[in-house]
Amino acid sequence: MEKVIMGNHAVSYGAKLARAQVIAAYPITPQTQIVEMLSEFWAEGLLDAKFIKVESEHSAMAACIGASSAGARAFTATSGHGLALMHEMLHWAAGARLPIVMANVNRAMGPGWSIWTEQTDSLAQRDTGWLQFYCESNQEVLDSVIQAFKIAEQVLLPTMLVLDAFVLSHTQEPVDIPDQELVDRYLPPYDARYKLDPGDPHAFGAMVAPPHYMELRYKIQKAMEEAVEVARQADGEFREIFGRSYGLVEKYRLEDAEVVLVASATITSTARVVVDELREEGYKVGLLKVRMFRPFPTKDVREALAGARKVAVIDRNISFGHGGIFAEEIKSALYNGSHRPPIFGFIIGLGGRDVTPASIRGIAEYTFEHDTPEMEIIWREVKNS
Amino acid sequence: MTEEIVFKTEADMPYLPMSLGTTLVNKTGSWRYIRPLYVDKTPPCNHDCPAGEDIVGYLALIEEGKYKEGWELIMQENPFPGVCGRVCPHPCESECNRRELGGAIAIHTLERFLADHTASQRPSVQASKRYDAKIAIIGSGPAGLACAYHLALRGYPVTVFEALPVVGGMMRVGIPEYRLPREVLEREIADIEALGVEIETNMRLGDNFKLSDLEDYQAIFIAVGLQKSRKLNVPGEDAEGVIPGLELLKRVNLGEEVQVGPSVAVIGGGNTAVDAARSALRLGSDVREPRSNEVTILYRRSREEMPAIAGEIEEALAEGVKIRYLSAPIELLTENGWVMGLKCVKMELGEPDESGRRRPMPIAGSEYALKADTVIPAIGQEADTSFLETGEQRLIEVRRGHIFIDAAGATTRPGIFAGGDVATPFGTVAHAVGSGKRAALAIDKYLRGEELSGFPPIDEAVHAVPKDMDPAIVRFDDLNPAYFEEIERTEQPQRPIEERVSGFEYFGWAQYGEVNLGFNEEEAQAEAERCFNCGTCNLCDTCLIFCPDVAIARLVAPPYPVPLARLNGAGYEVNYDYCKGCGVCAEECPRYAISIEKEIKWKK
Repeated sequence: MEKVIMGNHAVSYGAKLARAQVIAAYPITPQTQIVEMLSEFWAEGLLDAKFIKVESEHSAMAACIGASSAGARAFTATSGHGLALMHEMLHWAAGARLPIVMANVNRAMGPGWSIWTEQTDSLAQRDTGWLQFYCESNQEVLDSVIQAFKIAEQVLLPTMLVLDAFVLSHTQEPVDIPDQELVDRYLPPYDARYKLDPGDPHAFGAMVAPPHYMELRYKIQKAMEEAVEVARQADGEFREIFGRSYGLVEKYRLEDAEVVLVASATITSTARVVVDELREEGYKVGLLKVRMFRPFPTKDVREALAGARKVAVIDRNISFGHGGIFAEEIKSALYNGSHRPPIFGFIIGLGGRDVTPASIRGIAEYTFEHDTPEMEIIWREVKNS
Repeated sequence: MTEEIVFKTEADMPYLPMSLGTTLVNKTGSWRYIRPLYVDKTPPCNHDCPAGEDIVGYLALIEEGKYKEGWELIMQENPFPGVCGRVCPHPCESECNRRELGGAIAIHTLERFLADHTASQRPSVQASKRYDAKIAIIGSGPAGLACAYHLALRGYPVTVFEALPVVGGMMRVGIPEYRLPREVLEREIADIEALGVEIETNMRLGDNFKLSDLEDYQAIFIAVGLQKSRKLNVPGEDAEGVIPGLELLKRVNLGEEVQVGPSVAVIGGGNTAVDAARSALRLGSDVREPRSNEVTILYRRSREEMPAIAGEIEEALAEGVKIRYLSAPIELLTENGWVMGLKCVKMELGEPDESGRRRPMPIAGSEYALKADTVIPAIGQEADTSFLETGEQRLIEVRRGHIFIDAAGATTRPGIFAGGDVATPFGTVAHAVGSGKRAALAIDKYLRGEELSGFPPIDEAVHAVPKDMDPAIVRFDDLNPAYFEEIERTEQPQRPIEERVSGFEYFGWAQYGEVNLGFNEEEAQAEAERCFNCGTCNLCDTCLIFCPDVAIARLVAPPYPVPLARLNGAGYEVNYDYCKGCGVCAEECPRYAISIEKEIKWKK
């Protein structure tokens, strides 16, 4: 059934179709509509779940951890400061190997107080052991929620899918809402290997001394590595049933491309249009969309950029004191490979400032005009002149 | 912690920090130094009911829609729920913890609801055995009939002797029908008679028979009430047109014709004064011209000290009765032997007297005259104990105008018990019921040759069917207010004032003139749901949900047993092998039904 819905509601439909059993969330702009709609689904009897009202995001994640520990499929959603408040519990969810799924609506951190989009909130959680997927469209948002459970429950790691504030969260797009039957075929009920059970009680999360702690961390990294192929397979199975897939990365017009733009989330849609225009004008330019950020698809990125003479990474985020986070990740991915083209790191659109086709054209033109980047961070559209 | 573990394969390596063995071996109960226990405690309503009703119990039954069971729960203690649900001053409501969040529960009206809702049904209780020992009861008021009821339930043959031609004592002749329809009283008396209680009317002790005529009876209960109206002790009191309040009420209730003048003065501040004033208003009214007479109550103190039920005072004022506070008559003005008015003096309040109320003092020079064709003194009643003045009856001691009784209701003469207003100072139907029940329990013991011990002081309730609960009274601070919202109290509807005062009808009154109209089922449900169930486990599962050790198990599955209110520990089981004694269950319990006991008595 096709419906015109906003990104937030695409998340809600995804969680409903995935048959989330426990939902614990705290409202925060621009995420609130996600849980509002889930609570409406519940009230109308369309969702058989426990909906837990909590007093903070820290508690929301704690409640999901409890639910998931007891073997339930748990879901939550948050944004910006809410995600930051969850930080401690994000480590716990991963360390306890709980396949919780969360939607994070990217929101710039304050102060200056902001409710608009920026990726720094979620990228700042990259070391917590969560899988991360950045979505471009409302359809991709819905589909990624369902895929997220499929992947998380195989590798036993929590998974976050990320969407831009307002640009996706509050923007209406036509979305195909799949049949429950098909989703059930794709995503079987979660069967936890170990769970809290008063009938067979075990101690979870106990203290682990130096002789054994490191092995637990080793296993998390192994699961992350495994997740690359699990995600690829989950995406493939998704295509078989629903006729759509997204890949871990998406290569757009990369054949003979001299300059490759690298983007994520909604900027990708704009960049795709610009690439088409520039191609018509004769520029040899292509686009690499990075959808999976954790685990980082190093092999896919190396392959995609194997022919690029120059790479322009567009970051709507910043790691203060270093630079754009996607740019750093791309550099790191290529360094030990055989092909190491110059990598231009552009920072643009922080705090929800529009990134227009002209902005992206400017980035492409800059990259064509320069053999190497003049500086580590190339700021775009900063009003400093 | 120091032993080296080497994993043979990567698959052997654990991926999460989890114990492989069961944690059941770790009996964390050994950490405990306090122990939670399910102990039902006494709600303030139950504690304050003079008739000893299990109020929380029947409120819970109303919530469950179990009206007959609720009514029968009252009937275990009090055979007059229909009467008390109308005329009781409901001390149960005065300490109700709901006061803090929307007003006390309308317990009074709910009691009436149960009686009215089951009006077509009869109680299923019956005496299980029969004794030969006969008991005589003197007086068919609430004390006498309650005593008869409880003795009959225990299997004793009981005969009640009543001085008047009608049964019910003050319930019948002292309370106006607009407060207590006759059919309600008759229905409840019929339930008592159905147990085999014999009632002989027109048998006045002292006139028609003497105590010494009752030798065939193994025990006697005297509950003759207060029959003598107190005198004003002012000049002119014996004039025509002066009629004591109780006399007026009695004559109206016996269907005699009573006339009052256009200006009526009632003297006193108790329920008799208010009842007499409101009756006079109705007697003097014409259907075509309501409130055609003027009725004024004179009271020597202020509104605050007025002993009548507050709601009754409000209703009297609403109907048009006037009240002059801080006024007392010093002379009744007469002409040709008929009262024409009163000479009054204004009062001021001085230091508190032995009753705790401020003593009224006349203000010199404040005398004034008031026109009155009818004067109704209603300043209280006294016991008429003249029947005790001859022969061996003198062995029954009278103190300060009352027959002296001990905590068992026994007089100074073995085998003779007394109760109700002739022996106690409380003056309500509910107290009289409690007093009669106390005597019934004592007479049962006496006839079995048991010690008359173990009775609570005379101002505390006794229970015919003991309810297993801790005597500690639950106060608002003991509850967990996080679980309760403010909800407004529901008030029962009342008959419109014009309809109430347009003429006094002697017949068909129940359909016509009762002031309070009671709750319908929906109102009763809503009101009962407001109850906090203070101190009473109602299987809300809060303890079970909060227990961090999963050490609480529910033993009873819904539907809840009857009566729901008296689970008292039977609802849940604490597994003390694992309960760490954190106390969260007791702390969180919304209604203080869980107690904490020290596990270890620390020694120095």
